[in-house]
Amino acid sequence: MEPSDEALCQRVAKRDVAAFELLVERYQGRAYRLAWSIVRDPEDARDLSQEAFIRLHESAGSFGGRSKFSTWFYRIVVNLCLDHKRKRRWWKPWAGDAADDQGESFLERQPAPVTDPVDELGREQTMKDLWAAVDRLAPRQRAAVVLQVQEELATYEIAEVLKCSEATVRVHLHRAMNALKKTMKNMEKR
Amino acid sequence: MAKHPETDLVPYLRGELPPAERERVARHLDECPDCRQDTDQLRELLGELSRSIAEPPAVNWARYRAELREKLEARRGRRAWWWQPVPLALATSLAGVLLFVAVWGVGRQVPTAGDPVAFEEAAIGRNLGLLEQYQVVERLDLLEEDLDFMSDLDGLAAGRPG
Repeated sequence: MEPSDEALCQRVAKRDVAAFELLVERYQGRAYRLAWSIVRDPEDARDLSQEAFIRLHESAGSFGGRSKFSTWFYRIVVNLCLDHKRKRRWWKPWAGDAADDQGESFLERQPAPVTDPVDELGREQTMKDLWAAVDRLAPRQRAAVVLQVQEELATYEIAEVLKCSEATVRVHLHRAMNALKKTMKNMEKR
Repeated sequence: MAKHPETDLVPYLRGELPPAERERVARHLDECPDCRQDTDQLRELLGELSRSIAEPPAVNWARYRAELREKLEARRGRRAWWWQPVPLALATSLAGVLLFVAVWGVGRQVPTAGDPVAFEEAAIGRNLGLLEQYQVVERLDLLEEDLDFMSDLDGLAAGRPG
Protein backbone atom coordinates (compact mmCIF):
# COMPACT_ATOMS: atom_id res chain seq x y z
CA MET A 1 0.00 0.00 0.00
CA GLU A 2 1.21 3.50 -0.83
CA PRO A 3 2.23 5.50 2.24
CA SER A 4 -0.01 8.48 2.99
CA ASP A 5 1.25 12.05 2.50
CA GLU A 6 1.10 12.56 6.24
CA ALA A 7 3.25 9.47 6.90
CA LEU A 8 5.76 10.62 4.29
CA CYS A 9 5.93 14.05 5.86
CA GLN A 10 6.73 12.49 9.23
CA ARG A 11 9.52 10.55 7.58
CA VAL A 12 10.83 13.74 5.93
CA ALA A 13 11.03 15.26 9.43
CA LYS A 14 13.43 12.41 10.27
CA ARG A 15 15.52 13.30 7.20
CA ASP A 16 14.29 10.41 5.04
CA VAL A 17 15.47 11.39 1.55
CA ALA A 18 13.32 8.80 -0.25
CA ALA A 19 10.18 10.08 1.47
CA PHE A 20 11.03 13.63 0.43
CA GLU A 21 11.59 12.58 -3.19
CA LEU A 22 8.26 10.77 -3.20
CA LEU A 23 6.40 13.80 -1.83
CA VAL A 24 8.06 16.01 -4.43
CA GLU A 25 6.94 13.67 -7.20
CA ARG A 26 3.40 13.61 -5.85
CA TYR A 27 3.08 17.36 -5.42
CA GLN A 28 5.39 18.94 -7.99
CA GLY A 29 2.63 19.35 -10.60
CA ARG A 30 0.08 20.73 -8.17
CA ALA A 31 2.59 23.07 -6.48
CA TYR A 32 3.81 24.45 -9.79
CA ARG A 33 0.30 24.85 -11.21
CA LEU A 34 -0.97 26.55 -8.05
CA ALA A 35 2.00 28.93 -7.98
CA TRP A 36 1.58 29.68 -11.66
CA SER A 37 -2.14 30.37 -11.21
CA ILE A 38 -1.30 33.03 -8.65
CA VAL A 39 1.85 34.63 -10.09
CA ARG A 40 1.24 33.83 -13.81
CA ASP A 41 4.93 33.61 -14.60
CA PRO A 42 6.41 30.17 -15.35
CA GLU A 43 9.92 30.99 -14.05
CA ASP A 44 8.62 32.52 -10.85
CA ALA A 45 6.16 29.64 -10.42
CA ARG A 46 9.02 27.18 -10.75
CA ASP A 47 11.22 29.01 -8.24
CA LEU A 48 8.39 29.51 -5.77
CA SER A 49 7.18 25.92 -5.90
CA GLN A 50 10.77 24.68 -5.45
CA GLU A 51 11.17 27.05 -2.52
CA ALA A 52 7.98 25.56 -1.06
CA PHE A 53 9.57 22.10 -1.21
CA ILE A 54 12.71 23.44 0.49
CA ARG A 55 10.51 24.90 3.25
CA LEU A 56 8.75 21.56 3.49
CA HIS A 57 12.12 19.84 3.88
CA GLU A 58 13.19 22.27 6.59
CA SER A 59 9.98 22.40 8.56
CA ALA A 60 8.37 18.98 8.09
CA GLY A 61 8.69 18.52 11.85
CA SER A 62 6.27 21.36 12.45
CA PHE A 63 3.47 19.60 10.57
CA GLY A 64 1.22 18.72 13.46
CA GLY A 65 -1.18 16.50 11.53
CA ARG A 66 -4.21 18.52 12.60
CA SER A 67 -5.01 19.31 8.97
CA LYS A 68 -4.38 17.32 5.82
CA PHE A 69 -0.84 17.44 4.49
CA SER A 70 -2.09 18.93 1.21
CA THR A 71 -3.75 21.83 3.03
CA TRP A 72 -0.61 22.47 5.08
CA PHE A 73 1.60 22.35 1.99
CA TYR A 74 -0.75 24.54 -0.08
CA ARG A 75 -0.47 27.11 2.68
CA ILE A 76 3.30 27.20 2.21
CA VAL A 77 2.92 27.62 -1.55
CA VAL A 78 0.22 30.29 -1.33
CA ASN A 79 2.07 32.28 1.34
CA LEU A 80 5.23 32.29 -0.77
CA CYS A 81 3.25 33.45 -3.82
CA LEU A 82 1.43 36.20 -1.92
CA ASP A 83 4.74 37.39 -0.41
CA HIS A 84 6.24 37.38 -3.88
CA LYS A 85 3.37 39.47 -5.22
CA ARG A 86 3.74 41.92 -2.34
CA LYS A 87 7.47 42.33 -2.96
CA ARG A 88 6.97 42.82 -6.66
CA ARG A 89 4.31 45.41 -6.00
CA TRP A 90 6.74 47.24 -3.71
CA TRP A 91 9.46 47.66 -6.28
CA LYS A 92 7.35 47.64 -9.44
CA PRO A 93 4.57 50.04 -8.68
CA TRP A 94 4.21 50.91 -12.32
CA ALA A 95 3.56 47.32 -13.41
CA GLY A 96 0.10 45.84 -13.90
CA ASP A 97 0.22 44.27 -10.46
CA ALA A 98 -0.12 47.69 -8.91
CA ALA A 99 -3.83 47.27 -9.42
CA ASP A 100 -3.95 43.99 -7.53
CA ASP A 101 -5.73 45.32 -4.53
CA GLN A 102 -8.04 47.64 -6.36
CA GLY A 103 -10.32 44.74 -7.28
CA GLU A 104 -13.57 45.73 -8.89
CA SER A 105 -12.78 49.33 -9.67
CA PHE A 106 -9.79 48.21 -11.71
CA LEU A 107 -11.85 45.63 -13.56
CA GLU A 108 -14.41 48.23 -14.43
CA ARG A 109 -11.73 50.31 -16.10
CA GLN A 110 -10.70 47.51 -18.44
CA PRO A 111 -11.28 48.20 -22.14
CA ALA A 112 -13.92 46.07 -23.84
CA PRO A 113 -12.41 43.04 -25.59
CA VAL A 114 -12.48 43.23 -29.35
CA THR A 115 -13.42 39.64 -30.29
CA ASP A 116 -16.87 38.27 -30.97
CA PRO A 117 -17.98 35.93 -28.17
CA VAL A 118 -20.42 34.11 -30.42
CA ASP A 119 -18.00 32.01 -32.43
CA GLU A 120 -15.70 29.41 -30.93
CA LEU A 121 -12.60 31.52 -31.27
CA GLY A 122 -14.40 34.35 -29.59
CA ARG A 123 -15.52 32.02 -26.85
CA GLU A 124 -11.98 30.94 -26.24
CA GLN A 125 -10.97 34.56 -26.02
CA THR A 126 -13.82 35.23 -23.62
CA MET A 127 -12.56 32.52 -21.31
CA LYS A 128 -9.06 33.93 -21.56
CA ASP A 129 -10.41 37.34 -20.65
CA LEU A 130 -12.29 35.84 -17.75
CA TRP A 131 -9.13 34.29 -16.32
CA ALA A 132 -7.25 37.50 -17.07
CA ALA A 133 -9.85 39.17 -14.87
CA VAL A 134 -9.13 36.56 -12.18
CA ASP A 135 -5.46 37.56 -12.44
CA ARG A 136 -6.40 41.16 -11.73
CA LEU A 137 -8.28 40.35 -8.55
CA ALA A 138 -6.76 41.23 -5.18
CA PRO A 139 -4.18 38.53 -4.32
CA ARG A 140 -6.18 36.84 -1.57
CA GLN A 141 -9.38 36.89 -3.63
CA ARG A 142 -7.48 35.38 -6.53
CA ALA A 143 -5.97 32.73 -4.28
CA ALA A 144 -9.44 31.86 -2.95
CA VAL A 145 -10.86 31.52 -6.49
CA VAL A 146 -7.92 29.41 -7.69
CA LEU A 147 -8.07 27.14 -4.64
CA GLN A 148 -11.79 26.65 -5.10
CA VAL A 149 -12.17 26.37 -8.86
CA GLN A 150 -8.85 24.77 -9.79
CA GLU A 151 -7.84 22.81 -6.70
CA GLU A 152 -11.48 22.13 -5.71
CA LEU A 153 -10.86 22.86 -2.04
CA ALA A 154 -13.83 23.31 0.26
CA THR A 155 -14.35 26.68 1.95
CA TYR A 156 -13.04 25.42 5.30
CA GLU A 157 -9.89 24.12 3.59
CA ILE A 158 -9.35 27.45 1.83
CA ALA A 159 -9.71 29.10 5.24
CA GLU A 160 -6.95 26.84 6.58
CA VAL A 161 -4.69 27.61 3.64
CA LEU A 162 -5.24 31.37 3.87
CA LYS A 163 -5.21 31.26 7.68
CA CYS A 164 -8.45 33.13 8.06
CA SER A 165 -12.04 32.35 9.03
CA GLU A 166 -14.54 30.63 6.75
CA ALA A 167 -16.63 33.80 6.86
CA THR A 168 -13.68 35.76 5.47
CA VAL A 169 -13.24 33.24 2.66
CA ARG A 170 -16.93 33.59 1.80
CA VAL A 171 -16.50 37.36 1.61
CA HIS A 172 -13.41 37.00 -0.59
CA LEU A 173 -15.28 34.68 -2.92
CA HIS A 174 -18.38 36.85 -2.97
CA ARG A 175 -16.37 39.95 -3.91
CA ALA A 176 -14.34 38.06 -6.47
CA MET A 177 -17.47 36.63 -8.11
CA ASN A 178 -19.12 40.05 -8.22
CA ALA A 179 -16.07 41.47 -9.98
CA LEU A 180 -16.01 38.58 -12.44
CA LYS A 181 -19.75 38.85 -13.12
CA LYS A 182 -19.23 42.49 -14.08
CA THR A 183 -16.43 41.46 -16.41
CA MET A 184 -18.71 38.89 -18.03
CA LYS A 185 -21.47 41.45 -18.45
CA ASN A 186 -19.03 43.85 -20.10
CA MET A 187 -17.95 41.10 -22.48
CA GLU A 188 -21.55 40.28 -23.37
CA LYS A 189 -22.31 43.93 -24.14
CA ARG A 190 -19.73 44.29 -26.87
CA MET B 1 -37.66 39.50 4.06
CA ALA B 2 -34.49 38.28 5.75
CA LYS B 3 -31.07 39.69 4.89
CA HIS B 4 -29.83 38.61 1.45
CA PRO B 5 -27.49 35.64 1.94
CA GLU B 6 -24.97 37.00 -0.57
CA THR B 7 -21.85 35.43 0.92
CA ASP B 8 -23.59 32.06 1.36
CA LEU B 9 -24.39 31.61 -2.32
CA VAL B 10 -21.06 30.09 -3.40
CA PRO B 11 -21.01 27.52 -0.58
CA TYR B 12 -24.70 26.88 -1.27
CA LEU B 13 -24.04 26.09 -4.92
CA ARG B 14 -21.13 23.84 -3.96
CA GLY B 15 -23.29 21.95 -1.48
CA GLU B 16 -21.10 22.90 1.47
CA LEU B 17 -23.72 24.39 3.75
CA PRO B 18 -25.02 22.43 6.73
CA PRO B 19 -28.70 21.37 6.33
CA ALA B 20 -30.21 24.17 8.43
CA GLU B 21 -28.29 26.91 6.58
CA ARG B 22 -29.00 25.31 3.25
CA GLU B 23 -32.70 25.28 4.06
CA ARG B 24 -32.59 28.95 5.08
CA VAL B 25 -30.88 29.97 1.82
CA ALA B 26 -33.24 27.86 -0.28
CA ARG B 27 -36.26 29.49 1.40
CA HIS B 28 -34.81 32.92 0.74
CA LEU B 29 -34.22 32.10 -2.92
CA ASP B 30 -37.85 31.04 -3.27
CA GLU B 31 -38.92 34.47 -2.09
CA CYS B 32 -36.23 36.74 -3.59
CA PRO B 33 -36.02 37.04 -7.40
CA ASP B 34 -32.85 39.19 -7.22
CA CYS B 35 -30.96 36.57 -5.24
CA ARG B 36 -32.33 33.88 -7.56
CA GLN B 37 -30.94 35.75 -10.53
CA ASP B 38 -27.61 36.23 -8.73
CA THR B 39 -27.47 32.52 -8.01
CA ASP B 40 -28.11 31.62 -11.65
CA GLN B 41 -25.36 33.97 -12.82
CA LEU B 42 -23.02 32.61 -10.20
CA ARG B 43 -23.73 29.03 -11.26
CA GLU B 44 -22.96 29.95 -14.85
CA LEU B 45 -19.78 31.80 -13.88
CA LEU B 46 -18.45 28.95 -11.72
CA GLY B 47 -19.19 26.54 -14.57
CA GLU B 48 -17.33 28.73 -17.07
CA LEU B 49 -14.34 29.06 -14.76
CA SER B 50 -14.17 25.29 -14.14
CA ARG B 51 -14.40 24.50 -17.83
CA SER B 52 -11.70 26.96 -18.82
CA ILE B 53 -8.91 26.37 -16.34
CA ALA B 54 -5.69 27.28 -18.08
CA GLU B 55 -2.73 24.94 -17.90
CA PRO B 56 0.69 26.42 -17.16
CA PRO B 57 3.57 25.99 -19.62
CA ALA B 58 5.00 22.47 -19.55
CA VAL B 59 7.90 21.66 -17.25
CA ASN B 60 10.71 19.14 -17.56
CA TRP B 61 10.16 17.46 -14.21
CA ALA B 62 13.49 15.64 -14.11
CA ARG B 63 15.28 18.95 -14.51
CA TYR B 64 12.93 20.55 -11.99
CA ARG B 65 13.87 17.95 -9.37
CA ALA B 66 17.57 18.24 -10.20
CA GLU B 67 17.36 22.00 -9.68
CA LEU B 68 15.52 21.46 -6.44
CA ARG B 69 18.25 19.11 -5.20
CA GLU B 70 20.91 21.70 -6.10
CA LYS B 71 19.04 24.44 -4.29
CA LEU B 72 18.62 22.23 -1.26
CA GLU B 73 22.35 21.40 -1.23
CA ALA B 74 23.26 25.07 -1.64
CA ARG B 75 20.98 25.99 1.25
CA ARG B 76 22.54 23.30 3.42
CA GLY B 77 26.05 24.42 2.43
CA ARG B 78 25.32 28.03 3.26
CA ARG B 79 24.25 27.05 6.75
CA ALA B 80 26.70 24.25 7.25
CA TRP B 81 29.85 26.00 8.44
CA TRP B 82 28.30 27.87 11.34
CA TRP B 83 25.04 26.06 11.88
CA GLN B 84 26.62 22.73 12.76
CA PRO B 85 26.38 21.81 16.49
CA VAL B 86 30.10 22.07 17.30
CA PRO B 87 30.79 25.52 15.75
CA LEU B 88 27.52 26.73 17.19
CA ALA B 89 28.52 25.54 20.68
CA LEU B 90 31.97 27.12 20.30
CA ALA B 91 30.50 30.40 19.16
CA THR B 92 28.07 30.39 22.08
CA SER B 93 30.89 29.65 24.55
CA LEU B 94 33.07 32.41 23.09
CA ALA B 95 30.20 34.87 23.33
CA GLY B 96 29.68 33.83 26.97
CA VAL B 97 33.37 34.34 27.80
CA LEU B 98 33.42 37.76 26.13
CA LEU B 99 30.31 38.79 28.03
CA PHE B 100 31.83 37.61 31.34
CA VAL B 101 35.08 39.49 30.68
CA ALA B 102 33.18 42.63 29.73
CA VAL B 103 31.01 42.56 32.86
CA TRP B 104 33.95 41.62 35.15
CA GLY B 105 36.19 44.28 33.61
CA VAL B 106 33.62 47.03 34.08
CA GLY B 107 32.81 45.99 37.66
CA ARG B 108 36.42 45.66 38.74
CA GLN B 109 38.17 49.07 38.71
CA VAL B 110 41.92 48.97 39.33
CA PRO B 111 42.72 51.46 42.16
CA THR B 112 45.37 54.07 41.57
CA ALA B 113 48.35 54.65 43.82
CA GLY B 114 46.99 58.10 44.73
CA ASP B 115 43.98 56.59 46.51
CA PRO B 116 45.37 54.61 49.50
CA VAL B 117 41.97 53.64 50.94
CA ALA B 118 40.81 52.17 47.67
CA PHE B 119 44.16 50.46 47.26
CA GLU B 120 43.86 48.90 50.71
CA GLU B 121 40.27 47.80 50.05
CA ALA B 122 41.43 46.21 46.84
CA ALA B 123 44.17 44.36 48.73
CA ILE B 124 41.66 43.12 51.30
CA GLY B 125 39.32 42.16 48.48
CA ARG B 126 42.02 40.02 46.94
CA ASN B 127 42.42 38.14 50.24
CA LEU B 128 38.77 37.67 51.02
CA GLY B 129 39.51 33.99 51.32
CA LEU B 130 40.91 34.70 54.78
CA LEU B 131 37.41 35.49 55.99
CA GLU B 132 36.59 31.85 55.49
CA GLN B 133 39.11 31.26 58.32
CA TYR B 134 37.54 34.03 60.40
CA GLN B 135 37.94 32.20 63.73
CA VAL B 136 41.71 31.96 63.18
CA VAL B 137 41.87 35.67 62.33
CA GLU B 138 39.89 36.48 65.47
CA ARG B 139 42.30 34.43 67.59
CA LEU B 140 45.24 36.24 66.00
CA ASP B 141 43.70 39.56 67.09
CA LEU B 142 43.28 38.24 70.64
CA LEU B 143 46.88 37.06 70.63
CA GLU B 144 47.98 40.53 69.49
CA GLU B 145 46.03 42.10 72.39
CA ASP B 146 47.58 39.59 74.84
CA LEU B 147 51.03 40.46 73.58
CA ASP B 148 50.33 44.20 74.07
CA PHE B 149 49.05 43.50 77.61
CA MET B 150 52.13 41.45 78.50
CA SER B 151 54.37 44.17 77.05
CA ASP B 152 52.61 46.71 79.30
CA LEU B 153 53.12 44.46 82.36
CA ASP B 154 56.81 44.07 81.47
CA GLY B 155 57.07 47.86 81.27
CA LEU B 156 55.45 48.34 84.69
CA ALA B 157 57.76 45.73 86.19
CA ALA B 158 60.75 47.61 84.75
CA GLY B 159 59.44 50.92 86.19
CA ARG B 160 58.37 52.30 82.77
CA PRO B 161 55.03 54.13 82.40
CA GLY B 162 52.32 52.16 80.51
